[in-house]
Amino acid sequence: MTEVNANRRARLLFDTDELHYDFGPGHPLQPTRLVALMDLLESAGLWQSANEQDRLPLRPATIEELGLVHTPDYIAAVQSLSLPVAGEPSVGRQGEGEHILPTHQADSQAQLALKYGFADGDTPALPGMHEVSARIAGGTLVALSAVMGLPEGGAIASENERPLHVFHPAGGLHHAWAERASGFCVYNDIAVAIAHVLRASEAKVLYIDFDAHHGDGVQRAFYDEPRVMTVSFHETGRYLFPGTGDVLELGNGIGRGYSVNVPLQPFTEDDSYIEAMDALLAPLVISFAPDVIVSQHGCDTHAWDPLTHLSLTMRGIQAQIKLAHQLADTYCQGRWVAVGGGGYDLYRVVPRAWSIVWAEMSGQLLPVSLPEDWVARWRPAWFGVEEQEALAQQAMGKTSVPANFPTTFQDRPEDFSEQPRRWTISRTNRHTVALVRHLLIPPSVRQAFPSVQNRSPLAGLFDLLHLRGSATPSRSKTLETQKGTLLLRDFCPPSLIDRLTPDVGLRAFARIPEREHQLLVSIAKRPDCALTVAHTQSGEIVGEVTLAPGDEWWEGLENVYEVGIEVSSNWRGLGIAKNLLAFALDLDALEDIILFAMGLSWHWDMEGLGLSVYRYRELIAWLFASQGFTEYPTTEPNVRMEPANVLLVRIGKRVDQRVASRFLSHLLSSPNLTGL
Amino acid sequence: MIVSEVMTTKLITVTPDDTLSHAANLLRQYQFHHLPVVTATGRNEWSGYTGSGQNALPEFQGLLTSQDIDLAAAMGKWSSSEVLHRPWQERLVAEVMHRASIRVTPTTSVAAAAQLLVERGLNCLPVVEYEQAGQDDGGGSRPVLLGLLTRSDLLMALARSLGAFEPGMELMIQLLPGDLRPLAETLVLAAQLHIQIRSVIAAPQESGVPRVATVRLGTINPAPLLVRLQEAHIQYTFAGSLTEGDGHD
Repeated sequence: MTEVNANRRARLLFDTDELHYDFGPGHPLQPTRLVALMDLLESAGLWQSANEQDRLPLRPATIEELGLVHTPDYIAAVQSLSLPVAGEPSVGRQGEGEHILPTHQADSQAQLALKYGFADGDTPALPGMHEVSARIAGGTLVALSAVMGLPEGGAIASENERPLHVFHPAGGLHHAWAERASGFCVYNDIAVAIAHVLRASEAKVLYIDFDAHHGDGVQRAFYDEPRVMTVSFHETGRYLFPGTGDVLELGNGIGRGYSVNVPLQPFTEDDSYIEAMDALLAPLVISFAPDVIVSQHGCDTHAWDPLTHLSLTMRGIQAQIKLAHQLADTYCQGRWVAVGGGGYDLYRVVPRAWSIVWAEMSGQLLPVSLPEDWVARWRPAWFGVEEQEALAQQAMGKTSVPANFPTTFQDRPEDFSEQPRRWTISRTNRHTVALVRHLLIPPSVRQAFPSVQNRSPLAGLFDLLHLRGSATPSRSKTLETQKGTLLLRDFCPPSLIDRLTPDVGLRAFARIPEREHQLLVSIAKRPDCALTVAHTQSGEIVGEVTLAPGDEWWEGLENVYEVGIEVSSNWRGLGIAKNLLAFALDLDALEDIILFAMGLSWHWDMEGLGLSVYRYRELIAWLFASQGFTEYPTTEPNVRMEPANVLLVRIGKRVDQRVASRFLSHLLSSPNLTGL
Repeated sequence: MIVSEVMTTKLITVTPDDTLSHAANLLRQYQFHHLPVVTATGRNEWSGYTGSGQNALPEFQGLLTSQDIDLAAAMGKWSSSEVLHRPWQERLVAEVMHRASIRVTPTTSVAAAAQLLVERGLNCLPVVEYEQAGQDDGGGSRPVLLGLLTRSDLLMALARSLGAFEPGMELMIQLLPGDLRPLAETLVLAAQLHIQIRSVIAAPQESGVPRVATVRLGTINPAPLLVRLQEAHIQYTFAGSLTEGDGHD
């Protein structure tokens, strides 16, 4: 398993037929960007079209496969609109004559176009669009099937030959709805591919959308599907198509909590973007535990893009790609499919951005400079659109630095001027990220991944609990249960947690016991958290209580700590939770602090419990009541979202009256929702 | 805009003879707060006039709200009166419902209905039509329930008017008092560029005239239109203006 082998397991899927996805001259989405990309890959020696090892053949998606996502009437309409109409100058390819419709049918065609979203300049109906769109959808379907080892991915000699990473640059048409074309997208190749995997396997899919526009089509397709988590980083919909993608679009029914939206401010730059990604993606992946990652690499986030207001450079775009790769390698056994997407600076941005995707995927180092012959070939193409592009950028309010055609893969910082409102933009983004973390990431995972600015703001006060780090004596106590003797330990140092192993039923937060164990190690390492565990004499952790400073939502409040509790599904009904909680809260400082616990029904293992949510809610309230917690009404958005959710609070007797009343008024305010 | 365009027509109803426990279950199951009480339907769930036979038209009797049930439950706990010794779950809808005498018809304007809701502090208005009753019913008219108009319906109508459920992006066009030409020109330019308009709102401000028009464009590619607007000297606000806001001071 060396570099060479790793290279062999990355494939790029490209077919010249995909270049027929062409809405005609003057349209922002030009297939020449793919020509420029393939040319760059070949000239830089990153990919050889002749090399079978690097590629994967594609086939069109069948009507039946398209029907997994799209409605039959829509597919029929697309097919019908794919036939050229007489008397109308058809864009793209000219029809082959035999299929030309008589003019009197043109009216009904126009009505079809209007009904199914083809009536505007964005996604005009064009001859042959069904065929090319089905081909692109088939490409992404083959890519994902190959990575998942499904038969549609093609015959593979042995498991070791199976491609691990596949890049399909023509894919990524994330705006298409089930029954409507939208935003340059006819068939939603991503949704079709994911829906196929859902049908053909038990796998869970994480979709990460880096396009500057909200990935609305994919989100809609899986809005109530808990086996697909969609995560979209995009420019806020306030000024940008498609207008959706608010933080509070969280999914519906059993899919609640599986749609994640991170709307960023216009003119967001690299640092703020990277901070948002880093704070969210790893904890989301841990808590969802997907089997495969599908990432959409729309590069219209770039500062030069004429259609959006985001202001990234190649540095930010490369960070997206590296993070997606790293997450797939760490958490999904490498299974990763990347697709293209938006990107309307056709020659300066798209070829470079997607070369980085392929280089990262295939483990190749990028040279510093672009090949001179490539620059010579494509610079004139840019000259052709330069003026138009500059006008568009200026109309979108982007500050244009007189720029030239790039000669390096990376951007040069001097080509970009600093955004005048950088500080405000970063602050607002940080605020958005905090809200997303608060809403979607379960407490134990959040505690194991503290956000940067939240790193022990109250460390001094927390010394009350800790009496200085490692010097803290860890108490222990034995607990006799029907299933055997347990040891309870508080203030567990990381070395102890490392030595213990997780019980197989310990997976409430990270879904996999080994990862739950990793979370516990991370929490034990934090100086501002206290971890109490119950373990068997043979060293298996069967329960845990965590104590950590309140997250960003409680910012500005002193002495507020969140309690989290978990007992392995194999050890329930033995009174462990109650004893463990009592033991963990047997603290000198207990009366000096405010403790709270949040019960959110979507984190509950309802199958494992065999209780109704309301019954379980009572159980939790009763458990915490044994330690003096009472239920408080609150406007906190998570608790408010479901009647089964509950907030339990214990205010210590020695807590200052003003501190307590500030806490109580915070419960009923909603400071973090304003301004979104 | 009239009530029939925005009201809820898929209704869950109860009859006067149903028990409160049945009603409470329905409210919990569907997570809402108002149950219309009707007679002469064989089913709980119906949609418009899909029933058969003369008796299929539901006659509106009144409304049962979750508040009515809460009250009945609380009284069941505290009152010692003889009648109330039955557990509240067994009491009948007819005993607890109220007549909901403030009603609207399908052709009432939405503005009038909104004003009613706010002025009377209501959350919900039954939408009824009065029909002439048969001879054996003793003549007179009986109210037939067609739908419910709740505050949520009005909010959804507002969001729909803003075009919020269609993919698109918002553009604000500055207007001079009494002069809607910039808006008209914008719309013409959009039509020339084949850009769909999802919604247009030019609501009067305090002065009684609109000063700004909000246009929701159904496009991912606004730049061509924006360039044309600049050429035509039409003032628009957009993300770009944010930079100008505090960038230059």
